[in-house]
Amino acid sequence: MSYFGLDRIFKLMKTIKDYGGLRASLYKLYRIDNLRPGRLVATDKFGNKYYENNAYFYGRNRWVEYAPKYGLDYDASQVPAEWYGWLHYKTDYLPSEDPGRPKYKWMAEYTENLTGTKLQYMPYTTTNPKIQAWVPPSKK
Amino acid sequence: MLRTALGKALKGAQLSPKHARVMSQQPKKPEQIEVFIDDIPVKVDPGTTVLQAAAMVGVEIPRFCYHERLAVAGNCRMCLVEVEKSPKPVAACAMPVMKGWRVKTDSEMTKKAREGIMEFLLINHPLDCPICDQGGECDLQDQSMAFGSDKSRFTDIEHSGKRAVEDKDIGPLIKTIMTRCIHCTRCIRFASEVAGVDDLGTTGRGNDMQVGTYVEKMFLSEMSGNIIDLCPVGALTSKPYSFTARPWEIRKIDSIDVLDAVGSNIVVSSRTGEVMRIMPRVNEEINEEWIADKSRFSYDGLKRQRLVTPMLRDNTGELRPVDWEAALLTVAKQIKNAGANVGAIAGGLADAEVLVAVKDLLNRLGSEALCTEHTFPMDGSGTDLRSSYLLNNGIAHAEEADFVLLVGTNPRFEAPLLNSRLRKGYVHNELEVALIGPKVDLRYQYKHLGDGTDVLQQLIGGGHEVSKKLKSAKKPLIIVGSEVLERPDGAAILAVIQKLSASTKAQEGWKVLNVLHKVASQVAALDIGYNPGVDKIRENNPKVLLLLGADEGAIEKADLCDNTFVVYLGHHGDHGATIADAILPGAAYTEKQATYVNTEGRAQQTLVAVTPPGRAREDWKVIRALSEIVGAKLPYDNLNEIRDRLDEVAPHLTKYGEAENANFFKQAQDLAKNVKTQLDCTPLDVKLKDLSDYFMTDSISRASPTMAKCVQAVLKQKQSKF
Amino acid sequence: MAQQTVRQTIKQVKPILSLDKEEARKRVVSLYKAWFRQLPYIVKQYDMPKSVEQLRDRLREEFNKHQDIKDVRIVDMLVIKGQMELMETVNMWKQKGHMMAYFKDTWEPKPKDFLSKFLSGKD
Repeated sequence: MSYFGLDRIFKLMKTIKDYGGLRASLYKLYRIDNLRPGRLVATDKFGNKYYENNAYFYGRNRWVEYAPKYGLDYDASQVPAEWYGWLHYKTDYLPSEDPGRPKYKWMAEYTENLTGTKLQYMPYTTTNPKIQAWVPPSKK
Repeated sequence: MLRTALGKALKGAQLSPKHARVMSQQPKKPEQIEVFIDDIPVKVDPGTTVLQAAAMVGVEIPRFCYHERLAVAGNCRMCLVEVEKSPKPVAACAMPVMKGWRVKTDSEMTKKAREGIMEFLLINHPLDCPICDQGGECDLQDQSMAFGSDKSRFTDIEHSGKRAVEDKDIGPLIKTIMTRCIHCTRCIRFASEVAGVDDLGTTGRGNDMQVGTYVEKMFLSEMSGNIIDLCPVGALTSKPYSFTARPWEIRKIDSIDVLDAVGSNIVVSSRTGEVMRIMPRVNEEINEEWIADKSRFSYDGLKRQRLVTPMLRDNTGELRPVDWEAALLTVAKQIKNAGANVGAIAGGLADAEVLVAVKDLLNRLGSEALCTEHTFPMDGSGTDLRSSYLLNNGIAHAEEADFVLLVGTNPRFEAPLLNSRLRKGYVHNELEVALIGPKVDLRYQYKHLGDGTDVLQQLIGGGHEVSKKLKSAKKPLIIVGSEVLERPDGAAILAVIQKLSASTKAQEGWKVLNVLHKVASQVAALDIGYNPGVDKIRENNPKVLLLLGADEGAIEKADLCDNTFVVYLGHHGDHGATIADAILPGAAYTEKQATYVNTEGRAQQTLVAVTPPGRAREDWKVIRALSEIVGAKLPYDNLNEIRDRLDEVAPHLTKYGEAENANFFKQAQDLAKNVKTQLDCTPLDVKLKDLSDYFMTDSISRASPTMAKCVQAVLKQKQSKF
Repeated sequence: MAQQTVRQTIKQVKPILSLDKEEARKRVVSLYKAWFRQLPYIVKQYDMPKSVEQLRDRLREEFNKHQDIKDVRIVDMLVIKGQMELMETVNMWKQKGHMMAYFKDTWEPKPKDFLSKFLSGKD
């Protein structure tokens, strides 16, 4: 059967069924440009889903599907720090299982790269102004 | 230091101050001596030193302790030069030339002497160049590069090391790091001769010699900042300027100091758009090489309490910042409603351009109510004859006088540079000074004639003991303070003084009557035609009052009607800005190119060192813009055109650097006969009696933290028992 | 040279393309039409963030700039230049920047009278 390539067709049908039907699969294809079957490992707090499929070779067996709220504007900086390690093969531990993760109260909330948006960093002066303006005395 | 001295040499060096300007017929010139400096022949008067003779030729001999305006000390030995047929080198600064001497300034012996002296000086000199403020403008650095040896033989550093000396505290202005001192004694000589405050001296001998006040005493002089310029090394530096800038980063602009009426020439040094320090410029006729402390150190007041945006008083009574259009439209509306009922008061720091612009504007509106804050008696000749209100004889010639009568003035704090000239006369020319007024410390001996006006009557009558001296003096000076003329009987006092000066037998060309003003704008305002004193404003009660930096408080809010609209055009938020309904920010004296006339009647111009801060503009431009909106457009758009207008009004206002010869004394005296007021019995008094009063007299120095520290230090010094 | 009556002479010059004003006018109008028809394609091909309306206004402005020219040879030269520009535009030899350069940025003219200079703080 594999000689004729029929098992690939069955695999494709299975993938489509896993993703929730033809319509969802077509949307996924439009958004992400590929339709790979994978085991959902976990979801993070932003809604990004992480998949793994060791049938593919090293480098292509772990991937992230960005949350639907990003639409077509997903980019790599939307992966939070705790998932970065797993996604980039620095560790095999999932964030929930990793014993070495530090937790301090000063750790800020993760933000994606804000370049080009309204919230980007704009340098400002930190020196004292050279001329001190006169403050008029208030009547009170 | 070498550069400036070389410049002087190339111009033809000034000899000692006594020879500087002799007006009377000179005694027969003694025969000149011929000397050979480096085989160049030069003919000099006998009594010239080798150093001066070399300077005439253009040969610069290095020195540390010699200064042309101070007595010769000869203790640094750097000026040693070889004289042929002499076994020892000769100190060029102290040795008068003899006939036929051949002086060699580039021989082996001279070079070895210089290297040796430099080596000795550097033995105990700390390696402070990176942290020393004098780096880059240090005489020791320059001369060691030019004349010192390239190798150091100082091995003692591994054994006993270099000597160190404690720092001395001589006030909040001068930073002393006495380890660097090379004991040239310039500061001691300056303090003793020019400033008159004999506080600095040396303690100990040889290696243990220390220069200082021995007891911890503040150097209480109004000229104390000049020792910073004199010190050839970084031992005495400016405390406010310390660690702020290096000389090669600085941009220099010539300017004029306006914090008193002397108009001393200064150099404003700036870097990155802020004023870093103020240094003196040489002007033999006004300030020689010195400037007073207030001019030197109050530049940090230029950064505080500045008016940077136009402000309007809103209906809650608070001043709100607005933009220029709103401010100008509001002020113009008020002016249009007022019609001819507009007045102006010129403050102490107003320049001639804005004075002329305001006068033009107000005259076009139909008003003549332009006043200055300080009064001048208008009876008699008033301000019509220029000689009645100027320091006619000039500041430089005050040192040649042989008798000076000061009436109601304390020149030590009102015009420190005039006082230094009087002191110079006292030290070198046996000048006798008599003072009528409160007993103040002038730093030289004078005869105190009391402070009542009856003394003046006695002097006229000839009954006073001093009258004989006054009559017999060939070059008498009578200097009247402007405060005395502000009294209600000022006209009578001026009339009496005019009579007194006419009764003296001064020589031809010498002017006896001199008036000393306290603010830089007074003479220009009187020249342009302002009414002295705010009485005209009080009578007319204008609907719109324009204050041009008027902060003395001559007119209070209570004196005006309730609905008077007060507009303040100035650069600091002082008294005037608090009573104003509209504030238009102007430029301070370092930020505009403006004309100021000093008390001698000499017009000088300031140049732009930094730009006005925030939204401030140049003062006359504000008036010009206002005039356009009001509808009475003034005919000048740029600086040249307004200076042409100044030229039209009074031609001397654009002849910078020259003092015109004003001399209608006889006519003034004739008009003075019409004066009706009588002399009051109140004693003559001055406002600036003590050093603590000196530091904060105008809006810039009042805003300066350095000046505040000075006042505190002076008051603290009073507690000490030294 | 004795007195001569001044005769009105008409200079004859060598024409470039057209012989008289009518012919020149025809050339100008046909150039205008060619540009006009090309404008929608320009917007699409160069991906210009402008509408065709704006391009049409600009085209009209460019032609109106030279409306007072009398000399036929100058008109001919301008037409030739316009045709060259059209060829470069149609063949995509130009780039987006060249097309956008026809629409200059707005800039504030320098203040010339005293009051504007004063209020803007310059000079």
